[in-house]
Amino acid sequence: MRTEAEVTHGGEGVPHLAHHYSNLEMQAHAARLGMWLFLATEVLLFGGLFTAYVVYRYTFSDTFVAASKLVETHYGAINTVVLITSSLTVALAHHFVEHRQSRKAALLLAASVFAGLVFLGIKAIEYTHHIEAGELPGRYYSYEGLQAHGAAMFWSLYFLMTGLHGIHVIIGMGVLAVIAFRTWRGAYDDGYSTPVELSGLYWHLVDLIWIFLFPLFYLI
Amino acid sequence: MANPSAPVSHDEEERVRHISASRYYVVWVALLVFTALTIFTARGVHIPSPWHLLVGLAIAVVKAALVALFFMHLWDHGGTTRLVLVTALVFLALLIGITVLDNATRFELSNPVNDRNERFMPPGPDILSPMAVPRGGRLPERSQGAGETGGAPARPGGGH
Repeated sequence: MRTEAEVTHGGEGVPHLAHHYSNLEMQAHAARLGMWLFLATEVLLFGGLFTAYVVYRYTFSDTFVAASKLVETHYGAINTVVLITSSLTVALAHHFVEHRQSRKAALLLAASVFAGLVFLGIKAIEYTHHIEAGELPGRYYSYEGLQAHGAAMFWSLYFLMTGLHGIHVIIGMGVLAVIAFRTWRGAYDDGYSTPVELSGLYWHLVDLIWIFLFPLFYLI
Repeated sequence: MANPSAPVSHDEEERVRHISASRYYVVWVALLVFTALTIFTARGVHIPSPWHLLVGLAIAVVKAALVALFFMHLWDHGGTTRLVLVTALVFLALLIGITVLDNATRFELSNPVNDRNERFMPPGPDILSPMAVPRGGRLPERSQGAGETGGAPARPGGGH
């Protein structure tokens, strides 16, 4: 196990360059590729749930259309705008770190974390409505207004998919908060932007998944 | 031996560094426009049944492409990173595509009880119809009395 000093100052005195890379570009490329491999596994993780959605959307098509009327479009629309905007601020933060404007970048990252909080707050309001109405998964489903085959399955998928997405939002907020703090403290003042870029990629993926969840649950 | 300035994928890094911030704002506005468009096509106008879903998904794919290409820089970073995402998407398409083919071409009674097949189901609940009708929901039409003359025989010890 190498010490941190060796990792950050490995390559012949070049800051941030590990000794097994010959230059920073190669190291950044490897880090990016690793992150994309991880994101591919995330795509497949959500892919399994999307497959389940497709199966039950096909089996209980009328019920799913009726149940999606119970999910309020405006909450989903606001959350879509919130996430898209937070993606913009993360992309801009990466941009400003590369142009050595760390303070600006840190504030943009903090704004992204705040957007994540807004997203979760709105989601919490929605969840409260659904729980109070008895729109719940499986045998806990007790909503009298819609009694049809597969109604409980809609809510199983709704809570599973938005819930797993919500967990990703929480993790992304944690990562971005740490990166924002380090950026503010000047850790990336020299233009070394890989940590900002990779945490940004994760946040963009969270946005990407919501882009598909929104029409499937709110707009069908 | 280690030469920090050796040009490995140097072009890509430089290209990202020279993107102006205005590009991100343009993509953001485009994403907002497509969001408004998808809400309008779903709620503002009436598109007949299978098509409204396809329109919604097509817009979602365009939005996702904008995010992946410009926010996630796949437009500027070539080669392997694109290949990783494309590979994941190919296998996702196989997973969803083949599963849908299976469900859509099945003998209808092997699907869970739904609006299309419930009237062909044997009177439940027994081992042949494990998906019970939801509480307070509609019972299959044949289960009231008709089960005595037609329908599948009750399994010994199966029904309650």
